[in-house]
Amino acid sequence: MNFNEFRYIIDEAGMMLWRRKGANIISILIMGLSLLVVVVFVLVTLNISRVIGKAGTELRIFVYLEDAVDGRTAENIQYRLLGMKGVEEVVFISRREALDDFKQSLGEGSDFLDDLEFNPLPDAYRVKLKPDYLGSRFMERLGAEIGSWEGVEEARYGKRWIERAEKLVKGFYMVDFVLGLIIFFSVVFVISNTVRLTVLYRRKTIEVMKLVGATNAYIRTPFIIEGALQGIIASLLAIGLLCAVFTAGCRYLPELVFLGWEAIVIFITFCALLGAAVSFAAMRRFLKI
Amino acid sequence: MTTHSTRVVVGVYHLTKSFGKQFVLRDINLQVANGEFVFLVGHSGAGKSTLLRLIYMDDFPTSGQVVVGPYVSTRMQRSIIPQLRRRIGIIFQDFKLLEDRNVFENVALAMRINGTPMGEIKRQATDILTRVGLYHKRYEYPPALSGGEQQRVSIARAVANRPAVLLADEPTGNLDPVVTRSILDLLFKINAGGTAVLMATHDLDMVKSFGQRIIYLEDGRIKRDKEMIYVGDLRERIAESKVGREAEELGDHDLSDRQEE
Repeated sequence: MNFNEFRYIIDEAGMMLWRRKGANIISILIMGLSLLVVVVFVLVTLNISRVIGKAGTELRIFVYLEDAVDGRTAENIQYRLLGMKGVEEVVFISRREALDDFKQSLGEGSDFLDDLEFNPLPDAYRVKLKPDYLGSRFMERLGAEIGSWEGVEEARYGKRWIERAEKLVKGFYMVDFVLGLIIFFSVVFVISNTVRLTVLYRRKTIEVMKLVGATNAYIRTPFIIEGALQGIIASLLAIGLLCAVFTAGCRYLPELVFLGWEAIVIFITFCALLGAAVSFAAMRRFLKI
Repeated sequence: MTTHSTRVVVGVYHLTKSFGKQFVLRDINLQVANGEFVFLVGHSGAGKSTLLRLIYMDDFPTSGQVVVGPYVSTRMQRSIIPQLRRRIGIIFQDFKLLEDRNVFENVALAMRINGTPMGEIKRQATDILTRVGLYHKRYEYPPALSGGEQQRVSIARAVANRPAVLLADEPTGNLDPVVTRSILDLLFKINAGGTAVLMATHDLDMVKSFGQRIIYLEDGRIKRDKEMIYVGDLRERIAESKVGREAEELGDHDLSDRQEE
């Protein structure tokens, strides 16, 4: 291939895109809207998993002390807790603080507890675990061990709640994954059919080019360039629309996060490659190679 | 300037073509000499188009051989087909022009694909379009042209690479008699420049008055083949005709040189 041929191939690609503006715009719109479904899905998944992750880090184990426990034993318990694997932080909550918290949580006007002659709440330690150790299994083991110590009344971590939440999260990720696969394959299918139609539309061009003696590279390259460009423009369109959706969504949920730069770059690259690949595949049938 | 030999530009030897059990062509033998004009006459379905397709190697014989210059059908690789196509010009009943390109670009396409420099393309396309009488319409798009004009553009494209042979598949099938005559004159003119022409047509009445070699094809067999006319004789005959005089006016732009290039 000499320089002229190379120049003409690039020229052909430009001509194809420009002269068939209408058809190309429609293809790009179809591709862009399908890709929008993908990025919306990714964004929603990203935000939900962030919320789940955040909720997970707020899990604590409450270690309630026996009423009669003396200061030494309590201190001892604190040291033992701090020495355990996976423990990040231990905070002492006195029965008084606990009662104040409880009162506050009942609301200002409540006089429900005013008649109380003694404080029924125990002293407690609030144990925060390192992120890697958050999980019902580890917490159960830890709870059981702590519960057997001398001076400890009970270790609680909301066993049933956590187990149910974990099941729910697991279910969510499974559904999310399957849904993601379905969306992914539908979009690839829609895009490859759109591109195939573009190629089909130019069957005559391909036929004529073959007749006058164009090489397969000369015929095919402009189509591949066109496919890649369509992929890039469509992905930019999808990202642009997602931006608009995101901005609107942020009014109601200001804590939403957007896709990272790396994800956007990967997405655009993927779309370019997808466009080129489906174009190449569609061409193969017409070129009989 | 050129020594006109009787070199064979297209040779077909014991060619048989069948699709499944259906025989389309049986034991075809024919040679077209350098600079010759041959009509291939037969009814629809006689196998004319199939024979032409086998010659430009869009398809291959079931048995037998097609030879076009250095290219032999039995030893052909797909990757070489473009090279073959650049050495033959092909025109069709339906013109096969690209409708999203103007006249100039349609003609230029044939030269772009082999990387001819832009300046050369401009010069050459201008020259060819002038000769087919369409230079003033170079910026028009095919849908804006008449059938005759479109066929002229397709002829211009076909000869742009200075082919040794021009294959024409019912090139006048869509045209009225007056335009048909002008297209035939153009083909004679190109032939007078040294390019061999093999033209398929169903219209025997139209072609028998010209005195060219006629091959009759019937049910996939050659029924009759007028003897191969040596180019020398042909030239004399053409020189006497009106077409021949026009051809002389082509001056030194002689299409026949390319064989020796």
